[in-house]
Amino acid sequence: MNEDTAAVRVDCVSRRYGATRALDEVGLTLERGITGLLGPNGAGKTTLLSILATVNEPDAGRVSVFGLDPRDGAERVEIRRRLGYLPQELGYHRHFTVAAFLDYVAILKEITDRHRRAEEVARVLAAIGLERYARKRIRALSGGMRQRLGIAQALLGNPDLLVLDEPTAGLDPEQRLRFRELLSDLPGDPVIVLSTHQADDIAAICPNVIVLLEGQVRFAGSPSGLAAAAGGQVWSADDRDHGAHLSWRGGDGRWRHVGDRPPADAELVAPTVEDGYLMLSHAAGVR
Amino acid sequence: MTSPSPGAAGQVGGSGGHTADDLLASYADGAVDGVLAWSVEAHLTACAQCRSALSAHVDSERLARNRSALLVRAAIGDGGRAHRMLRCCGVPDYLLRLLAATPSLRRSWLLSVIGVLAVVAGEAAAVGYGWIPGGRSAGPAGYPAPAVLAPFLLVAPLLVLAGVAAAFLPMFEPAYWLAVAAPFSGVRLLLVRAVSALTAALVPAVCAAFVLPGPGWLPAALLLPSLALCALALAAATFVDPSAAAVIAGALWALPAALLLATTNVPLAIVQWHSQSACAAVLIASAVVLFVRRDRFQLGWMR
Repeated sequence: MNEDTAAVRVDCVSRRYGATRALDEVGLTLERGITGLLGPNGAGKTTLLSILATVNEPDAGRVSVFGLDPRDGAERVEIRRRLGYLPQELGYHRHFTVAAFLDYVAILKEITDRHRRAEEVARVLAAIGLERYARKRIRALSGGMRQRLGIAQALLGNPDLLVLDEPTAGLDPEQRLRFRELLSDLPGDPVIVLSTHQADDIAAICPNVIVLLEGQVRFAGSPSGLAAAAGGQVWSADDRDHGAHLSWRGGDGRWRHVGDRPPADAELVAPTVEDGYLMLSHAAGVR
Repeated sequence: MTSPSPGAAGQVGGSGGHTADDLLASYADGAVDGVLAWSVEAHLTACAQCRSALSAHVDSERLARNRSALLVRAAIGDGGRAHRMLRCCGVPDYLLRLLAATPSLRRSWLLSVIGVLAVVAGEAAAVGYGWIPGGRSAGPAGYPAPAVLAPFLLVAPLLVLAGVAAAFLPMFEPAYWLAVAAPFSGVRLLLVRAVSALTAALVPAVCAAFVLPGPGWLPAALLLPSLALCALALAAATFVDPSAAAVIAGALWALPAALLLATTNVPLAIVQWHSQSACAAVLIASAVVLFVRRDRFQLGWMR
């Protein structure tokens, strides 16, 4: 990534919660386009995203978003004007209807004109395919629909920076595909950073991927670069090899092994993003 | 609607008594001024041919957007009678929408407050007026004994505080993180909600005070302690966890008030001038602290 033109820059950011170090001198840059954040639970993804969304402060280090410093009150508000944020655990006013909730969030985003708000709410409802549910109370929605509503509220106001914490959690396969399409069609080429446990989401839509392990950035690059981290270490065999870091039986009945030693009669296969991630996790001692 | 001017009517009824095509195009774009637009509309209601011609100039995407926006507005609703009334009084629509998310302004909460007030005030009134045994007007100067009014005097300001606390405590705002990450001023949101919750709880408390036996200034005397408690809780929330701030403010009221009522012979000591002066001092000091430290609410009022 080009350091000079980076839209978002994170320099040596650390954050602790008591004795737990959530982020340890994290440094990264984000450009326009989609960046995927991969990491196991507790790796610091949510903390990093909440700092980018200006709702959390680092203990040390510096963050710059579009050249603005979130430590300054006025600049923080300016960042928030250009931000769409989906927290990991978004709460809802369950007695609100879908349309009323989006209307409420639109007001928080300073869209105070009634007609413009209605147009904006209609736009995001159409984008996320929830028009038919505009009158439905949130408490009557399924988990997947609530997640879509969460994504819809993040899109209000056409944000320049979209911070999405596990946006595909709870979505069925078709909705996940629609979500990918939605992100690809967003106008204005915003900076999008999303965390996920789904390596195939990363491979499908993210030109850039960052792997966060135990509060540290262990990889930043392209999905193919991440896959290459497992190059020459992924094998396919008829039998299980207990010496592999990880092995599982695929749909074709053959065993897939990720490890640095080939099992007997094994065939070397092309690694995936998931394989690369597994190798990085193993190298870092994360299980 | 006023009658169109003859000049306007002349432009509308152009060749063959129909509206000119370029005028219809301008009208469809919204570029026609008031009187002329009315003339076009008056003509369109009576002329199918011009209506048909107009449809060729209408941006179908814009129509679809408007239709969707109208459907959304219908789905959002107008907020009911109370919202309509407040809108008529000049309260902006978006502020009313923000208040809809305040738990202490919901019907269930307000009914609970009224219920608690009815119990404590009803009991005090029943004893004070001698409807049930318990000692009528045992205090000096014809006032009821402090013990009669004690539950009400203790509880009423605490109920007001609870309403305000529910309006700003993160635990009562499910969409807290969205509110924090939004550009809308945290202090403004907080104050709008706090003032509304304060008003909503204060009105039934003051009304209940009117039915109680005791001095006529009792309802007015409840105002300062209630305001001071709420301001203290908000100011304390800029230093400590908001829940702790609300508990501290509540304890700072309940403990001295209970002590005064239990030990002093001065009737209604907590609403006498020295107590009122202390409340006024707390209110002013808290307001100053709140103003000076208002930035603490911008980052998220949980921190």
